[in-house]
Amino acid sequence: MVSWIFNNPLTAVAIGCAVASALLVVWYLVRRPALTNATKIVMLLAIGVLPIATATTGNVSGFEATKARTFCGSCHVMVPYAADSADPTSTTLAARHARNALFGDANCYGCHADYGMFGTVTTKLGGLRHVYEYVFHYHSMSLAEAREKIHIRHPFQNATCMHCHSTDVPIWNAVREHASLLPRLRDGSVSCASAGCHGPAHPFSKDVAP
Amino acid sequence: MTALRVSCVLTLFGLALMAWSMVQPTWMPVMLAMSVGQLVGTSAFAIFIAVIVRDLRRRIREAPP
Repeated sequence: MVSWIFNNPLTAVAIGCAVASALLVVWYLVRRPALTNATKIVMLLAIGVLPIATATTGNVSGFEATKARTFCGSCHVMVPYAADSADPTSTTLAARHARNALFGDANCYGCHADYGMFGTVTTKLGGLRHVYEYVFHYHSMSLAEAREKIHIRHPFQNATCMHCHSTDVPIWNAVREHASLLPRLRDGSVSCASAGCHGPAHPFSKDVAP
Repeated sequence: MTALRVSCVLTLFGLALMAWSMVQPTWMPVMLAMSVGQLVGTSAFAIFIAVIVRDLRRRIREAPP
């Protein structure tokens, strides 16, 4: 845990500012000095500058943390999906992408994020909806029940796959199935992650055995 | 300076939420830090500014003409 914090400079800065601010605040609470100009400047640091620095760096660090697979897996209903992604012996689409260094520990976000100008915003709004659904509907649900009841909200978009697999390179088009289905893959009427092609992406998707 | 002490306590609470989210970046600490933590920290700073403004106005009022 400590090494994780100090491998993330923003997190280290945020925690450093938080500790400095807390020390100054505790000093004020314990010593109760008169409100002189010097005290005001110290308290401006303690209550204003340092907490704002903590919040700024902490928010960036927090947004980065929300991309990690461990974050997605912190809701118990997502544990099997995260565990499959982290399994080095799994051959599912998700696990194979997790073993790709470009995705790595952020493979959930890499495939489920929206792209484009407002992609990050719409992804975070979707994440808020996930939290709402989890807290109010799925928090007490068993894993077996969750596998049956929880489904992806919108069909997985081929555009997300095509963000990396452009469908334009010759080696991709040399695969007969790719070439014959190209128009349907581009308009989304056939899913890259459909069973028989590259899916299902997770062993628990669409009632298909692993 | 009761208001300033309240501001200090709120600051400590907000900082604790932020620190928790960084030490344990799971959904609940991160959500709490980015919602309740921000609100509490902003409130603490607003109280501090109010205390300073009130003190300055008192000093101006009490200053000899």
